[in-house]
Amino acid sequence: MATHHHPQLELLTEYAAGTLSLAQLACVSAHFNYCDGCQRTAEQLQDVGAALFEAQDAAPVGDALLNTVLARLDEAPPLSYGKPRRSENGVPALLQRLMSGDFSDLAWRKITSALSIAYLKTGDPNYEFALYQIKAGGTIPDHDHRGSEMTLVLEGGFSDDRGTYHPGDFTFRQASEAHAPRALPGQDCICLAVLDAPLRFTGWKHRWMNPFLTLHAG
Amino acid sequence: MESSAGQQEVAAQADEKVVRWPQAGRRTDEWSECLVKIARDQDRAAFTRLFRHFAPLIKAFALSGSTLSANHADELVQEVMLKVWQKAGAFNPEKAAASTWVYTIARNCRTDLFRRLQKFDTPLAAEDFVPEHEENQEPFAQLQSKRSGERIREVMAGLPPDQMQILAKVYMEGKSHAEAAAELDLPLGTVKSRVRLAMQKMQVQFERAEQS
Repeated sequence: MATHHHPQLELLTEYAAGTLSLAQLACVSAHFNYCDGCQRTAEQLQDVGAALFEAQDAAPVGDALLNTVLARLDEAPPLSYGKPRRSENGVPALLQRLMSGDFSDLAWRKITSALSIAYLKTGDPNYEFALYQIKAGGTIPDHDHRGSEMTLVLEGGFSDDRGTYHPGDFTFRQASEAHAPRALPGQDCICLAVLDAPLRFTGWKHRWMNPFLTLHAG
Repeated sequence: MESSAGQQEVAAQADEKVVRWPQAGRRTDEWSECLVKIARDQDRAAFTRLFRHFAPLIKAFALSGSTLSANHADELVQEVMLKVWQKAGAFNPEKAAASTWVYTIARNCRTDLFRRLQKFDTPLAAEDFVPEHEENQEPFAQLQSKRSGERIREVMAGLPPDQMQILAKVYMEGKSHAEAAAELDLPLGTVKSRVRLAMQKMQVQFERAEQS
């Protein structure tokens, strides 16, 4: 499946450097499930990290530490170093783990007639990590953000002023870029959204809800 | 984009087998061989050689730009080197350089240590984010990815200091682009364009990321 919208170089570099926040890391790495190209780029960016790592001025380490580690080599390793497998329904295994079930098992909270949100727990204290379900053909009312918004389509698709997004497509918007995504007809759209500040509806019809839209980080 | 000359070059690399580090002047193969011996024979001598090379780098990485104490740095060295021993069987010398493999373990352990120190309550560890599927494993693709790692090392040695400085902040000190910009008193756009220029010179393929 070819995806057409990808994480920017800056995000891929932060992925490779290990500095993305936990929730954003989960979203970017879920995109790799759909995109070999970005995964290869991330690997090359890790090679850059490895080259910098090797070029450092070494910090002296005494033999005492070596002996401590040698004495610990017989310790039983932690239970599982197994690689997660790509799940059959196409949902990244990592997400599956956080959901502990199916999309239908989640506690969906109805926000508007077309939009429901289910919050997942990553433990990241600064970012909300949630699934958005938009009814086929439905719209999320005009909104902007007090912070950034990262989105990955998991099922169905949506379009906004920048383009059309299908499963695996990724977008990243900065604070105050308003948009009104509309789900493609025929199938409900489910996407993963990572926010560091709550949505803010900009149209008069939905503005009254803003005080109730708090960030569900953690 | 890869010309036939490029392919010949790749083929020549395969015959040569012995590839030299530009800076360190050591064979890349030495550390890969150690990992293979550890996986196959639980070879402690090989582990000791690997430790003497990588432990000081892991410690420098731990102390780089961070608030980690010397004790935490030693703790990180222990944790990373133990993982190297335990996971050596998962290392594929055909695909990756040993240093890249050790670097990603060190990076993951450092990130997890930061999160533990900040008392994150999370079910996830950094190594849970390794891609779930293997991309194209054709020998030619593996060779290309190794070749690209070698090219990155060669080109990096010649990068201008202003680009190296930013890369070091981003990777070794773990700073965001915005933090690097603030510390170096540069506009964010300058930091981003220096990173982009450096990646272009090292021929990192990121055209996709530009059209998102």
